[in-house]
Amino acid sequence: MSYERELLKGSTESLLLSLINRQPTYGYKIIKELEKRSKGYFQFKEGTLYPALHRLEKAGLIQGKWQRLPSGQERRYYYMTPKGQKALAERLVVWQDFSTAVALIVQPTIG
Amino acid sequence: MQAKSNYTDKLKNYLRVDTTIESDVVREIRTHLEDKRHELIESGLSEKQATATATRLMGPPQLVARQIYEVYSQGSWLQAIFAALPHLLVAAFFALQWWQNTLWLLGILLGVVGTVLYGWFHGKPAWLFPWLGYCLIPVIAVGILLIYLPGGWTWLAVSAYVPLALLIIFSVTKQITRKDWLFASLMLLPIPIMLGWLLALWLLALERDNGFLSGEQLYEFAPLIAFSFAVLALTVATFIRVRQRWAKAGVLLTLEILVLVVMALSGKISINPSGWLALVLLAVILLLSPALLERKIRQASQKPLNLSRKSVR
Repeated sequence: MSYERELLKGSTESLLLSLINRQPTYGYKIIKELEKRSKGYFQFKEGTLYPALHRLEKAGLIQGKWQRLPSGQERRYYYMTPKGQKALAERLVVWQDFSTAVALIVQPTIG
Repeated sequence: MQAKSNYTDKLKNYLRVDTTIESDVVREIRTHLEDKRHELIESGLSEKQATATATRLMGPPQLVARQIYEVYSQGSWLQAIFAALPHLLVAAFFALQWWQNTLWLLGILLGVVGTVLYGWFHGKPAWLFPWLGYCLIPVIAVGILLIYLPGGWTWLAVSAYVPLALLIIFSVTKQITRKDWLFASLMLLPIPIMLGWLLALWLLALERDNGFLSGEQLYEFAPLIAFSFAVLALTVATFIRVRQRWAKAGVLLTLEILVLVVMALSGKISINPSGWLALVLLAVILLLSPALLERKIRQASQKPLNLSRKSVR
């Protein structure tokens, strides 16, 4: 497994939670948003998205609900639960601490 | 459109999750494929190319189905304990010598029947199948009791009863296999162990009391019988807790054979090596044959579907 894939695997759930926390959304739109916001860096494999979403739903972090679009089509929208918001907040703190620590080591020392 | 429909059909075939979850997943992936197809058509691909590309990008249906299965396949600890409970009750029945008290026996029987009826009409959850296995005991027990019929009646009755008993067991197994073959294996799990113990008790009775079982013989074997059912309880609890299908099948097969080996090595049972080998073979056949049965059922159910598609073309 490449280093990039390993990093992505570890942060997939946090990325999904962050997107769903911004606004309720559905699978296809999540892939498009991830690609757009990361300027093409995150190109999610479509088949792995749904198991990840269902894993989060089973853990009670998000909740899926079928909704009819104005066009008449139905999509399964995912909503953040209070448990999911708490988990995301905790993960973001860990991520901030981790990235700060990594930056302190990796970045060249100034002065 | 054909490729998209084939994809969701295959996905449905491999999913093996509750019907409500199954319909949500299939519907969700179908809408995703539809969105992707529209996007690709707008980018200049033909309808056929767009459908093929959308399904290819989704990945193999087996892989998607396996990952979704592993999300839902792990039962809670409470479910694991409840699924292991019938084997634990049997273990306690022998460890605490409850066979002397008919009230206990009646209580356990009513408990088993009540639990099976509740589970059967409430979506057939995974914990139901170990309980359901015990509902097949009367079928086997009646066959064994026929041995005690006088004179030539035994062979006549046994030859008429065995096909009937096999038919009952087969039809129940077939019905469970439609849901998931691993559940059928879970249901059939105690049969080789029970047959082993019945054979052991019968051989001991033949040696001592002209083929009639007595409480004394049960006392002799009770600790080992309790141990074997306690291991079955552990097997079932592990089955419920692990996520991967290969691990579930492996747990059933390994621990079942381990129990038979421990029984054989105990030195207390006068079954010869070929008898033990036959029991181990029976265990392997009983635990794995539902997988073949499932394949046959699915092939049979796909044939009319393929025929109707050809006629539409």
